[in-house]
Amino acid sequence: MISNMLRFPLANFPFHAFDALEQGMNAHFPYDVAQRLSRTEASYPPVNMGTTNNSVELSFFIAGLDTDSLNIMLEKNVLSVSGERKLPDVANDEQNKGTYYRQERFGGRFKRVITLPEDVDTEHAEASYQEGILQISIAKRAEAQPRQISVAVQ
Amino acid sequence: MTTNTTQQTVAKKAEAMVIRPHVDIYENQAGATLYADLPGVAKDKLSIDIDENVLTVKGEVSHRIPDAYKAAHNDIHVNRFERRFTLGDELDNERVEANLKQGVLTLFIPRAERHKPRKIDVKVA
Repeated sequence: MISNMLRFPLANFPFHAFDALEQGMNAHFPYDVAQRLSRTEASYPPVNMGTTNNSVELSFFIAGLDTDSLNIMLEKNVLSVSGERKLPDVANDEQNKGTYYRQERFGGRFKRVITLPEDVDTEHAEASYQEGILQISIAKRAEAQPRQISVAVQ
Repeated sequence: MTTNTTQQTVAKKAEAMVIRPHVDIYENQAGATLYADLPGVAKDKLSIDIDENVLTVKGEVSHRIPDAYKAAHNDIHVNRFERRFTLGDELDNERVEANLKQGVLTLFIPRAERHKPRKIDVKVA
């Protein structure tokens, strides 16, 4: 009885047909890649990391970030990125009172700590944020960079 | 022979693989608002399409890869986002407002006029 009552409001909302379509679509996608974009705090935000000849490059996928809340710390070769992603608080707005039909997006505080694959020069790091990607570039330590050795012919 | 078939299957799957963006859907008397996370998608790589009552959101991550880049760890393996939604008849598909800001797409679809709640005045004779 109670569950019927709880379900009832959804029937009034225009998106209600959309679950059925999504179930049908999963059949086309053998891997649910979206699971990698997990909402849980431990794995948010998703990150891609790699190296170039002279730097370690990281891309954090954080759409709609308030960069004022961002805190990037680098200690030896451990990088920690923390911040807060605030979602619009529409549900508490009396004027726009309504119902969330889906809530999948991550909201709140996050922190990711990453061990870098190479020794880095903590003095030479840059960060930029564009189109929802936080890009961090940190120079490798001189010793870790490939060096070409020329042979003097006598 | 077997290896070849496996490679083809893998290639096919990679082509079909997209990320289903996370969304919030909020509805009130004015209409429905859809928020979708599309980090890395620029305005010119975003497409929003409504065919009959099926809304399709597609986006491609345009991301500069530096020279001599070697991947060490990837949480995101695919650079395409895609997700479809069915819209109810109550929504006015002709008047969709879309806004993309720092990888967050906000789509507002108003409720069709005839489906808006109306107050009916009763005249007392």
